Amino acid sequence: MQTLSLLVNRLLQLLPVLLGIAIVTFLLLKLTPGDPARLLVGDRASEETLAAVRQEYGLNRPWPVQLGTYFGKLAQGDLGESIRFRKPVSGLILQFLPPTIFLVLYVVSLTVPTTLLLAIAAARNHGGWADQAIRVFGVCGFTLPVFWVAIMLSRLFGVELGWFPVSGYGTGFLEHLHHLFLPALTTSIWLVPVMVQSLRAALLEKSEADFVTAARSKGLPERGVFWRHILPNALLPTLHLLGVMVAYLIGGTIIVEAVYAVPGLGRLMVSSILSRDYSVVQGLTLFFALATVLVTLLVDIATTLIDPRVRL
Amino acid sequence: MSAPDRAAPLLEVEGLTVDFETRAGPVSAVRGVSFSLAPGEILGIVGESGSGKSVTCRAILGLLPRTARVGGSIRFDGRELTHFSEADWEHMRGRQGAMIFQNPASHLDPLMRIGAQIGESLRHHMDRSGPEARRDAIHLLSSVGIAQPELRVDSFPHELSGGMKQRALIAGAIACRPRLLLADEPTTALDVTVQARILELLRALNRQHELAIILISHDLGVIAEICQRVLVMRDGALVEQGRTRDLVATPKHPYTQLLIASQPGLRLRRPRRTGAHAAGQPLIEVQDLSVSFRAPFRWIDLTKGQVRAPRIRALDGVTFALHPGETLGVVGESGSGKSTVARAIARLLSPSAGRVLFDGADVHQLTGQDLLRFRRSVQMVFQSPYDSLNPRLTVRQTLAEPLRRHRLAPPRKIDERVAELASMVELPQDLLDRTPRQLSGGQCQRVGIARALAMQPRLLIADEVTSSLDVTTQAQILSLLERLRAEAGLTMLYISHDLAVVRALCDRVLVFQAGRIVESGLVDEVLARPQNSYTQTLLRAVPRLALAPQAQFQAEGTAHAPG
Repeated sequence: MQTLSLLVNRLLQLLPVLLGIAIVTFLLLKLTPGDPARLLVGDRASEETLAAVRQEYGLNRPWPVQLGTYFGKLAQGDLGESIRFRKPVSGLILQFLPPTIFLVLYVVSLTVPTTLLLAIAAARNHGGWADQAIRVFGVCGFTLPVFWVAIMLSRLFGVELGWFPVSGYGTGFLEHLHHLFLPALTTSIWLVPVMVQSLRAALLEKSEADFVTAARSKGLPERGVFWRHILPNALLPTLHLLGVMVAYLIGGTIIVEAVYAVPGLGRLMVSSILSRDYSVVQGLTLFFALATVLVTLLVDIATTLIDPRVRL
Repeated sequence: MSAPDRAAPLLEVEGLTVDFETRAGPVSAVRGVSFSLAPGEILGIVGESGSGKSVTCRAILGLLPRTARVGGSIRFDGRELTHFSEADWEHMRGRQGAMIFQNPASHLDPLMRIGAQIGESLRHHMDRSGPEARRDAIHLLSSVGIAQPELRVDSFPHELSGGMKQRALIAGAIACRPRLLLADEPTTALDVTVQARILELLRALNRQHELAIILISHDLGVIAEICQRVLVMRDGALVEQGRTRDLVATPKHPYTQLLIASQPGLRLRRPRRTGAHAAGQPLIEVQDLSVSFRAPFRWIDLTKGQVRAPRIRALDGVTFALHPGETLGVVGESGSGKSTVARAIARLLSPSAGRVLFDGADVHQLTGQDLLRFRRSVQMVFQSPYDSLNPRLTVRQTLAEPLRRHRLAPPRKIDERVAELASMVELPQDLLDRTPRQLSGGQCQRVGIARALAMQPRLLIADEVTSSLDVTTQAQILSLLERLRAEAGLTMLYISHDLAVVRALCDRVLVFQAGRIVESGLVDEVLARPQNSYTQTLLRAVPRLALAPQAQFQAEGTAHAPG
């Protein structure tokens, strides 16, 4: 009951955050140079058409009124209409969302086990050759530019060996798995080292903790001490990092999506910016912010499950 | 395994040496320590931090870091421990010998329920199933004096008080009925009343289960409470050992004599000024001061009917005055509001009711230049000497910062003034360019005091400044404070849970309990003839040395000097 109460309160606290996000995204469009009405009708349209369009979209009204209208539409889930696609932005986002979500989950499921494996190996061999090797590979992994890794992998596994398709998304779950393997691998190659570094440091820190000495003084075998005391206590910082990374990936797989031609949100964002499809940009900004807030909330909930001292 | 002969020692340590390998070469922590322990005996090891007493203790359970090299011989129950493999250790630890530690909060896994932590060794050593281990854990919790053990077994460590955590740690240590318990400063982090109860528990466990105990402490008073024999260690070597009573009565080694002379209750004190300055205007007047902390705000509360204190009263209508040149002691257990009152006076938190007057002006109404002057006039020294200094600044920078910021000295004179401050607190000049990490606890505390003095304050608030220091260092800091007060005419608010220290240093004392003053008056009167039952409990809990007649006479004589 208490947990439920805390959860409800936490959700209520999100309201002002969402309001703030909405205002910022609205201002984003207001403050961009250029006239949206002019954009809509093109350079050669007459003044009358321009005025008509302004009238139609309410662009000639004072901006607080426009903000009110914007909120009113937001409340109904209306994010405006794309000029390029002639479709509602919300529908557009839903259409491009699945590949991105699939890709992010794919990355997570590749990254998490690898991170655990490497970080534990490194921490248990602290200073040994395994630790050094993992560190060297890690440095390579996150210093290599993502686009270069993407191109190299697609050349090697896609073109030379022909094991994986180099573009698109496919249909059906298995085909998705096949098509998105290289994009997910490319992303994991820089993500894993970051996560390993965080987890390894936490593992080393916790293995010096007083309660670990206390557990050893009770005669618990080293293996038990590690799995029951060191690892659970070391997980939290890495979990938070994973949250931040997932939130980033939802809007940040642009390069990977571009190289592998995945029809995801990143590509939608880039192409909309290039074609000045501002209502899509605005809608996506709002969506990414919302996704970040939700992922953070999920991580916080997971934290309370692991750490009894933390309350929502 | 055959039952060992009753007379045979349980533990025999001979010529134990421990060296740590560092980059600068081996550092010797224990040099040739030999002693023995009979079954069912309680042995004390006393010494200051760095004397090697903890390292000796950890060597007995093989809990030293990998960089440690152990030499000599440790025989437990006839077996040589220095040749133990990791598997032998796992069998021995918890089952034969167990350990409890100084800081119970950090030695319990914060993510695991108390019952699971106690049950761990039962499941490992005694092959108990989950439910059996839980049932045993409940029994153990009740045997170490935890109320409602069937509820507490499912608590997490942060839900317990400090004393309860130490009890839970003890329950985990004795779960598999070990024959030896190593107690490394088990009461140092606890209040004096809690300390008395934990010591009582250790003594009871010793009697009931013939549990042999090695009690490590820097406080000879604690050792003398329950130990039959005591070892005195210094710089990794054993300087003296013997029966506690004999050793306290006729200490042979100069260091032992110093340890005994450093006991705060034994220090000679200046004659008190009593009541003489109670006339005139008080420097600080606290009027009906209350401080409460709000529980976190919730939009909607679904926890109806559940008990949740909406406001926590840290201080409840406290009134007292502090006159110039006076030293006022504030005593009480943790949570009694004694630090809160200091923070309210220093305007580090604001009261929910009542006023604090400084020189007749309401402290919490001050603004601008007046506030700045007030901030300068009231300085604090904190409990943890390391944590209250910026680790990246040298002593010189730490002392120069307030001088520069408040323009208390012209830039050319700052170095001179820093040197002057250092000599005031008897800090050697060659330490000025070191960082806190390179200083001892006592030296850090001197820096903290010098930093406060840099502002030439009219009121010095000392919040438990000696409680994390060794007895000998504590004695040095106390005589420093006393000298500063005599020379600079400093007014001081001295907060401590240690009644002996307050008795040695203060003119008047306030006894706090649960945010209220339960007793106040001249130190000698309050501590010699306490009226309030809580004060009496506090006093009874203070461990006392069974003093030699001469020292006893001296202490009594000064304690009862009529005001």
